[in-house]
Amino acid sequence: MLNELLFEFATWLDGFQASTNLHEALYAYGWVEATHVLTLTLFLGMLLVIDLRLLGVAFKELPASTLMERLDKPMMIGFVVMIISGILLYFAIPVRSTQSIWFRIKVVLLIAAGINALLIRNMTRSADLAWDNDPVPPKRIRVGAGLSLSLWALVVVCGRNMAYDWWDCHKEMPYFMYWAAGCVNELAAFE
Amino acid sequence: MNVVPFFEWLDATWLASFAKTYAGLFSMVQAVHILSMVMLVGMIILGDLRMLNVVLKGVPSDVIIQNTKKWIYIGLVGIVLSGIYEASAIAMKLAYNSFFWAKMAGLAMGIVFMLSFRSAVYSRAPETIASTGPKSDAVEPWVVKLVASASLLIWFSVAANGRWIGFS
Ligand code: HEM
Ligand code: HEM
Repeated sequence: MLNELLFEFATWLDGFQASTNLHEALYAYGWVEATHVLTLTLFLGMLLVIDLRLLGVAFKELPASTLMERLDKPMMIGFVVMIISGILLYFAIPVRSTQSIWFRIKVVLLIAAGINALLIRNMTRSADLAWDNDPVPPKRIRVGAGLSLSLWALVVVCGRNMAYDWWDCHKEMPYFMYWAAGCVNELAAFE
Repeated sequence: MNVVPFFEWLDATWLASFAKTYAGLFSMVQAVHILSMVMLVGMIILGDLRMLNVVLKGVPSDVIIQNTKKWIYIGLVGIVLSGIYEASAIAMKLAYNSFFWAKMAGLAMGIVFMLSFRSAVYSRAPETIASTGPKSDAVEPWVVKLVASASLLIWFSVAANGRWIGFS
C-alpha cells in the first residue's frame, strides 16, 4: 500500500520536465551533488565539534553550553542546505531513489538521528547544566553524543551507497528485498 | 616529469586488484574518505570562521585552534589512506585527470599553508580577534581575515575537485 503510494508519487515527480532537465544537465546535477557533499563539512563538522565536547574528548577547557549554543546556528544553516540539496537530488532521480534500499534506510536513520538530537537538546537545557564546566559530561550525555556520531556516520554510508546498483529493482533478489526496496512491479509478479 | 609510469605501477599492485575486486569494501572506504573530510575540513573551518569572528567571537582563539590540531591530523591520515586506496582502483583514469591533479596541488598547498602562514598568523592575531590579551607581535586584523578566507577557499576547492573526479 505505502509502496504503491510512494511509487505513484515518484512517478508523478518524474513527469516534470524540470526533473529530467536537472538529471540530464551537464553541470547542474553535479553542482547540486557537490553542494550536498561539501556542506557535510559545515553541518557534520560543527556537529562533530559539539559531540566531541559532549563525549569529553575535545575542547574540554570550554563550557559545553558555549559550543552548543553558539555553533547551533552554523550547524543548522548547514542542515538546511543539506535538506534542500538532498530534495533536489531526489527530485532529479525520483523513481530510482524511492526504490533504493539505501535511501530508505537513510531516511529512517535521519529520523532516528533527529529524535536523538532532540533528546540531547532536552537533556542540555542550560538551566540544569551542573556539569557545564566539567571536562567529561555525565554518562547519559556521552551515550547520546556517541549515538549521534554513529547515526550520522551511517547516514553518510547510506548516502554514498545509493550510487551503487547492487539492490536495484531490476536485479534478481529475494522477495524480502523487493518488498524492502518497494519494487512494486517486481512484487506484483509474485502474486 | 612523466608520472604515468607511477600510475601504471600503482595499477599493477596487489592493492589495485584487491580494491577493484571488493565493491562493498570499496564503498565503505569511500564513506571513510567522506567522514575523514568532515573531520579535517570541519575542524579547519571552525578555526577559520573563528578567526573571521563569525563563530565563537570572544572565546579565546588559542584554545580553539589548539584543540582542532589533533583532529586535523587524524582526519588527514584517514583521508590520505582512504584516498590512496580509492586511487589504486582507478589509477589509469587519474593519471590523465585534471581534477585529480588540481586536487593534489590544492592539498599540498593547503597543508603547507596551514603549517606556515595560517599557524603563524593565527598565533599573532590582535586582541580584537583573539581575545587572549594584548600581544607585542600582533598583526593587523585584515591579515588574519585574509588568511582565514584563503584557507577556506583552498580546502573547499580541494573537496570540490575531489567530488568532480567522479563526474569527469
Ligand atoms: C542532513 C543529512 C544528510 C546527510 C548527512 C546526507 C548524506 C549524503 C551523502 C554522504 C551522499 C553521497 C554523496 C556523494 O558521495 O556524492 C548523499 C547523496 C544523496 N542524498 Fe543525502 N544526506 C542528507 C540528507 C538528504 C535528504 C534530506 C535527501 C532527500 C530528501 C537526500 C537525498 C540524497 C540523494 C538523492 C543522493 C544522491 C545519491 C546518488 O544518486 O548517488 N539526502 N547524501
Ligand atoms: C592523498 C590524498 C587524497 C587522495 C589520493 C584522494 C583520492 C581520491 C579519489 C581516488 C577519489 C574518488 C574519485 C571518484 O572515483 O569519484 C576521491 C574522492 C573525493 N575526495 Fe579525495 N583524495 C585525497 C584527499 C582528499 C582531501 C584532503 C579532500 C577534502 C578536502 C578530499 C575530498 C574528496 C571528495 C569530497 C571526494 C568525493 C567523495 C564522494 O563523493 O565519494 N580528498 N579522492
